Amino acid sequence: VSDDFVQAIRAAEVTPGGMRAVELKGRELVICNCGGSFYAIDRRCGHMNAPLEMGTLDGSILTCAMHCAQFDVTTGEALSGPVPPYLGNEIPPPRTGAFLKNVGVLMQHIRTESIATHKAEVESDWVWVAL
Amino acid sequence: MNTESRKQALRHFFGNVVEPMGFKFTPDADLAEFLLEQEVKLEAKHGIPFCPCQPIRRDRSRDMRIVCPCIPFHREHFDAMKRCWCGLFVHLDVTDPDSLPQVPAKEVGSE
Repeated sequence: VSDDFVQAIRAAEVTPGGMRAVELKGRELVICNCGGSFYAIDRRCGHMNAPLEMGTLDGSILTCAMHCAQFDVTTGEALSGPVPPYLGNEIPPPRTGAFLKNVGVLMQHIRTESIATHKAEVESDWVWVAL
Repeated sequence: MNTESRKQALRHFFGNVVEPMGFKFTPDADLAEFLLEQEVKLEAKHGIPFCPCQPIRRDRSRDMRIVCPCIPFHREHFDAMKRCWCGLFVHLDVTDPDSLPQVPAKEVGSE
């Protein structure tokens, strides 16, 4: 690997379908193993900054655990925004209802952005990431 | 967010869900593309990929029954037609989806 690659994590520590968070040169990343191919993405969700390694990886599609926004880890592209909240059939108390309404109005203006990806390669049993 | 990428993502997820239920995407590629595109638009609007061929009633318990793929909620009906209501999914053995008519649930006695 060339000089701009940084040693990130042992490949065996990220099982297929798994993700691990690493910090390289002060940058938070997630290493994803998509069926034996490794990809590195920025750790923070393009929607509300949640740590993406806590989500799920299905093929190359990562679903954030916080609001279920989805991203393609091979390109970083945002595939969908958050799913709408379900508050149940019970009407919340007035103050809670007003708070939730306020949050809802604010969240309407939050865009789901694509996330940055970084080239990842495996050499000598380690995953190396270009930064 | 781009429609084509989202369509591919829905294909990936739906394929995994419908196959164990004995269904597959319709061999009519144009129809599948069109229906998936409508679902992407519905998802962008409502946050949920509803069936594009059934009405959204703003009643959660009823609307959840038309979230694609809605096969589990209409199993008897769809099995009788060998397709889902839109025709996005057909039984695994179907090769000629045009031969499968859309039959109302009442006529097959499932609802």
